Amino acid sequence: MSKKYYCLIALAFLCNAANAQTLKGFVGDNSEEPVIGATIYWTNAPSKGVATDVNGQFTIPTIKGEKTLIISAVGFTTDSVEVSSTDFLKITLSESSETLNEVVVKGQSILLDRLSPIQTETITTKALAKAACCNLSESFETNASVSVSLGDAVTGAKQLSFLGLSGKYVQTTFEGIPSIRGLETTFGLNYVPGTWIQAIDISKGVGSVLTGYESLSGGINVELMKPDNSEKLYVNSYVNSLGRLELNVNAAHKINEKWSVGLLTHGSTLKNDVDRNNDGFLDAATYAQVNVMNRWKYQSERIFSQFGFKYVNDSRTGGQLGYVSQEETPSVYGFTNGTKRADVFSKTAILFPDKPYRGLALILNAATHESNSLFGNRKYDANQNYGYGNLIYQDIFGSTQHTYKTGMSFVYDDYDERFGSISLQRREIVPGAFLEYTYNYLDKTILTVGGRVDFHNLFGVQFNPRVHFKHDISENTIFRLTAGSGFRVPNRLAEYYGNLVSNRQVVFTNALQPEKSWNYGVSLTKTIDKSSFIVDFYHTNFSNKLIGDVEHPEYLYFYNSNGKAFANAFQIEYNWVPSDRWEAKLAYRFLDSKQTMGTPFDEAVLLPVMFQSPSRVLFNVGYSLPYDKWKADLTVNWNGKSRIPTTDLDYDHTSYETMPFDESPSFVTVNAQVTRTFINWEYYAGGENLTNFRQSNPIVDPFNPFGNRFDAGMNWGPIVGRVLYAGMRYRIR
Amino acid sequence: MKILFLSFIFSFIALISFGQKGVEEVKFKTSAKCGMCKSRIERDLGLTKGVESAKLNLEDKVVTVRYKTNKTSAKDIQEAITMIGYDANEAVADQKSHDRLPGCCQKSAKPHKD
Repeated sequence: MSKKYYCLIALAFLCNAANAQTLKGFVGDNSEEPVIGATIYWTNAPSKGVATDVNGQFTIPTIKGEKTLIISAVGFTTDSVEVSSTDFLKITLSESSETLNEVVVKGQSILLDRLSPIQTETITTKALAKAACCNLSESFETNASVSVSLGDAVTGAKQLSFLGLSGKYVQTTFEGIPSIRGLETTFGLNYVPGTWIQAIDISKGVGSVLTGYESLSGGINVELMKPDNSEKLYVNSYVNSLGRLELNVNAAHKINEKWSVGLLTHGSTLKNDVDRNNDGFLDAATYAQVNVMNRWKYQSERIFSQFGFKYVNDSRTGGQLGYVSQEETPSVYGFTNGTKRADVFSKTAILFPDKPYRGLALILNAATHESNSLFGNRKYDANQNYGYGNLIYQDIFGSTQHTYKTGMSFVYDDYDERFGSISLQRREIVPGAFLEYTYNYLDKTILTVGGRVDFHNLFGVQFNPRVHFKHDISENTIFRLTAGSGFRVPNRLAEYYGNLVSNRQVVFTNALQPEKSWNYGVSLTKTIDKSSFIVDFYHTNFSNKLIGDVEHPEYLYFYNSNGKAFANAFQIEYNWVPSDRWEAKLAYRFLDSKQTMGTPFDEAVLLPVMFQSPSRVLFNVGYSLPYDKWKADLTVNWNGKSRIPTTDLDYDHTSYETMPFDESPSFVTVNAQVTRTFINWEYYAGGENLTNFRQSNPIVDPFNPFGNRFDAGMNWGPIVGRVLYAGMRYRIR
Repeated sequence: MKILFLSFIFSFIALISFGQKGVEEVKFKTSAKCGMCKSRIERDLGLTKGVESAKLNLEDKVVTVRYKTNKTSAKDIQEAITMIGYDANEAVADQKSHDRLPGCCQKSAKPHKD
């Protein structure tokens, strides 16, 4: 190991052969122990840095005119030293008190992670405030990679799409704990209040093996408000022109140096009946939601721990106007859903203060989820009990240039679902093990190679390797490559919930099989001061994909893809930050997502995935005075045409080869917002969908809701049109 | 649609073109202790009526405030500082505001910088 090290140092020498003089030194911690792998460079020549060896020693060529050395190492506070001679230099670094990964989110709306080998973009609190409303599903408004749309025209469930694939292929995590999976996929995005969110990290391509086998297309990690560094009290209230009311109260209290406690609460409701398109159906389901989360945090030099619970209760009613209940108004089509979910979680890490690169962490999560729905006269009752454990150990091979993470995980999932006469039961028990090695050369070249083996009780042994590579081509140009596989077990009814708002007969053509894919990606990020330019391409190729087939107007078929299924996503994005006050973004995204369909008729036809518009343009401009005294923001979204199944009531589906299909038109949506900040108060007002664009007939055959052709799952655009809102925030720091 | 765009652009221009005329500078010695105090004073003054900018020097604890003479006065700014919870020259911090400050920012805290 150390040989390799000297080689690298020798290499650094060769590059600087012209400067014959060198400076030697030692980097140690407070107890004079050597700090291995610390990075040392001259202030104005960061590209000519060197690293300390196993004995904490380094040799760096001197550069004319350079007097200040910068010394940095993982787990230590970065230091600088003035150099006046070439005498042997002894440097002592002090251990950093900041917790790793805890980023103080300030300033710009978007942060690009320069260090991660996985292409990651962080949506900060500042960008989240651009979309003043209301929950996770509405937090991606100014992000070009993620698009969020209504899953159907009745339930109000939001679905996201990422890299040309629907949101279920993205792994969502809360501070590293897998979430919004299983039954929660249906309404999960609606269940995370926006004011609870501190930041969202969006990473493209397969994720790290540490968080499991489910990240097929990418990851969305949500950082929630921390008990120890949030406002003592934070209150947010909101009202919109439909009559939606929201109240959020967050409190954080630091009990002493080590303990802190946080409480996050949310209540929201919509009670007004809105039917702007006069189809007899509510444009937005009425609902009432209560959300509570409490967590405790303990931090000492050796132990970092947090634990708590989360609870959500949501009840909603949609469908035809005048619906009361199935008994009282049997001829009126109604939709109802009641969901209760409780989570307990804990995260504990043992730290080694004298060896900051070493760590042991245990993550535990248990949840119970109950969802009862009624679609007209069809009932869907579903329960899930879930248990999760993940143990991670982190250490180095010789120096911090070679780090590894290894551990074991355990997933327990118990499903019990009933839909009409269909009954689905499944119990998954999945122990697994993983190893991830990272090679880091001066933070400039990073290679991560990982693999995990999972022993699935129903689907056998699953092996998933993943590789991530990053290289800084120059000071401000980063090149990344990624490749890896993943798998997930689909939940057919919960994931195609919107299609159940119909009278389609549900048919399972094949037995349940896990979905498996390989994902490959390449990206280039160039930063110029605060501005950035990003171009990337990702390809996801399924060896098995579950197809939810709605081509036949009277059936919802589920079968495994019998042939090709893939998604290509190309994106080009420019973030322009000319000054502290202005910022603008222009992005173009192109998708090509296809799957093989036709199994019900013994056909195999490669078809574009429905409701997926290949082209999208996003434009956003924002202006803010210092401390956001005044802030204004405008977002314009252009969505291209997409393939939709034909909604012709006389259509008789007999073949996939020759079937006709329709195209949704392209459309533009515009959102704008203004915020005024005072010392403790903040007022905001804005509008969504200001051009008032609406899909004219979001429901097929709305006046015959118990007929064979009625279908609310054919929705591709906004339903309610323009919505204006206002709100205020109050904080005590 | 067009009107909407234009009104946005005009409101932006209106925001920027508040003139530079009648701007004065005033300095106050404060009872600030640390970086936390610095960011609190700078933010809160920055959001105070008529204040253009506020910069606190942690070496001598002097805050330099640029303000619009037609919107506020040196006296109002001095009072604003006391209401944030800090002494400003001879003016003593508002007791209630001072007591709500984090422990490390209160006058009883030992001198520190971080």
